[in-house]
Amino acid sequence: MNLSFDRECCIGCGACVEHCPGHVLAMGEKDQPFERYPDDCWYCGVCQVECPEHCIEVIFPYLIR
Amino acid sequence: MINQNAVYTDFLIVGGGPAGCMAAIRAKEMNPEMEVTILEKAEISRSGAAGRGMDALNNVVVPGIGTVEEYLEAVEIVADGVFDPEISKVIAERSFGILQRLEDWGVAFPRDKDGDYIVNQFHPKGRFLVEMRGELKKIIAGETRKTGTRIFNRHPVVDLIKDGDNIGGAIALDLESGKPRVFLAPTVLLCTGGAARIGLSNTGYLHGTFDCPWCNGEAWKMGYEAGASLTGFEYTAQSSMTRDFNGAGQSTFIRHGAWLVNGLGERFMERYDPDRMERATAGVRGRAIIEEEQAGRGPVAFSFSHLPPETVDLIESAVFDVERPTMREYFENKGIDLRSDPVEVVMTEVYLCGGHGLAGLVGDAWGETRVPGLFAAGDCLANPYGFLAGAMCMGEAVAERVALRKARRPESPDTDERMENLENLIKRHRKGSLGVPVREFEYKFRRLVNEYVAPPKSARKLERFLKETDSMAREQDDLPAVDPHQLMKVFEAKAGLFCARMAARASLFRTESRFGLYHERVDYPDKDDNQWKTRVLITVGPHGPLLEKERP
Repeated sequence: MNLSFDRECCIGCGACVEHCPGHVLAMGEKDQPFERYPDDCWYCGVCQVECPEHCIEVIFPYLIR
Repeated sequence: MINQNAVYTDFLIVGGGPAGCMAAIRAKEMNPEMEVTILEKAEISRSGAAGRGMDALNNVVVPGIGTVEEYLEAVEIVADGVFDPEISKVIAERSFGILQRLEDWGVAFPRDKDGDYIVNQFHPKGRFLVEMRGELKKIIAGETRKTGTRIFNRHPVVDLIKDGDNIGGAIALDLESGKPRVFLAPTVLLCTGGAARIGLSNTGYLHGTFDCPWCNGEAWKMGYEAGASLTGFEYTAQSSMTRDFNGAGQSTFIRHGAWLVNGLGERFMERYDPDRMERATAGVRGRAIIEEEQAGRGPVAFSFSHLPPETVDLIESAVFDVERPTMREYFENKGIDLRSDPVEVVMTEVYLCGGHGLAGLVGDAWGETRVPGLFAAGDCLANPYGFLAGAMCMGEAVAERVALRKARRPESPDTDERMENLENLIKRHRKGSLGVPVREFEYKFRRLVNEYVAPPKSARKLERFLKETDSMAREQDDLPAVDPHQLMKVFEAKAGLFCARMAARASLFRTESRFGLYHERVDYPDKDDNQWKTRVLITVGPHGPLLEKERP
């Protein structure tokens, strides 16, 4: 996984899902976003800057860490 | 027969990046009655290569700092003589107007102590990079929405519709429903970026590319199949980028004065281009980096320790706050501080790009291809080294041409045939009889690109690539895809393979070495003066691709 969502902080607004340029994210149960297609992440950070509550941490893919 | 569920529009824009948004805005300004529609693979406020942010507007002819003539000389140097000066002239003449529009909309252009734009040099000649801050893409997308343009997000285009010899529209895949949707229009603009996933990244991570990995040449494949010509595919570009990160930094580092040093601490560009040093053409810089590594003088790195602290602050604000905020975390993870530590550099994977290189659809000075009504702009159009400003300039130019045309509906579009073919193809992918995941398929052809198409090139290797990938081209329609996202990935992979094979064909056809590293033929090691200013065009023929030389 390339992203860590702070579940306590997430308000389920879906901004990260809406803006992800790679169609990587989706909304799961209880309006919680998750990485549906983690292999397609460019770690561009759009989800991070779009999150109004700053709940997302980018974790670099293991291959480039 | 006309598809009853088709959406009609006067001007269909495929790709909502800077070129597409600017085309929509300009078209609605020219004619507010015109129905303009954007089909976007992602969501327009964050899509494409410029979606996260850009730290400079590249290239702009700022009055008093640069001239149109100087800009054309600069492009001639970086493109090694192989470019269409008409398009570059349009870009040069429009570029400052674009900057002024962006500034009016709220994009920030920091000023120096005298109140002037901060304009730096990155190319071998002239200063054309204007320092920029702010949320460029969100601002342009907001301006686009104000015009009443219809926007279909999450609608990647998978096929084009013809209307006799003219363009007639496009078919997009609705990622939510998984169903194809028909859009009919007498004019279509293709602006879906370049092709990022051609060579395999040094990390092996498929989406860890220099250029935006979600743009993979789909519009090039569709445009070619519709009858448009491609060019510049032998210019197999690679960038000198931060090891493993691949994605940002080169132009920011170089334009602010970073040095390239080898493992011995030597500023080695002295050996390869003593006049231009780090601002040598990209192919010469790439060749130098590889040669240093091969001579055992690696690893090569960017060094900043000679720069004043305020310049390093400027570099950090450009990269960390604007272009790629995640790079801050990357450097922190690696323990790199630009004030004291060099940043190791590698050559990225091979990619193809119209604004960063030479590859793309061939268009006239208004971006119109050989197919009447089919236009290209941005990284999709061959507009060597037009970069971001070039994309917006050509978006505007296309819109002005389209606005002059009389609105009409396509008369006999081949929608039914296209839809039937597409639905059958989607059924084949659902069945997926090849049984190989698309990621494995993609990894394989990209590994083969590294082995056979990346320089140093030779006829034997290039022919070998075409032979090795013949079976992949035959099998690709049976790749499995069980959901709309996977189907999109299959279309991207097929476009990537198409582009790689065209790169091999064009590389075979240009029987000389040119563009520094990018087109080094060991079997033709010298530049051939007869091929100066000569482009390689590829057009669909009755028995496959037709290659020819052309002097624009």
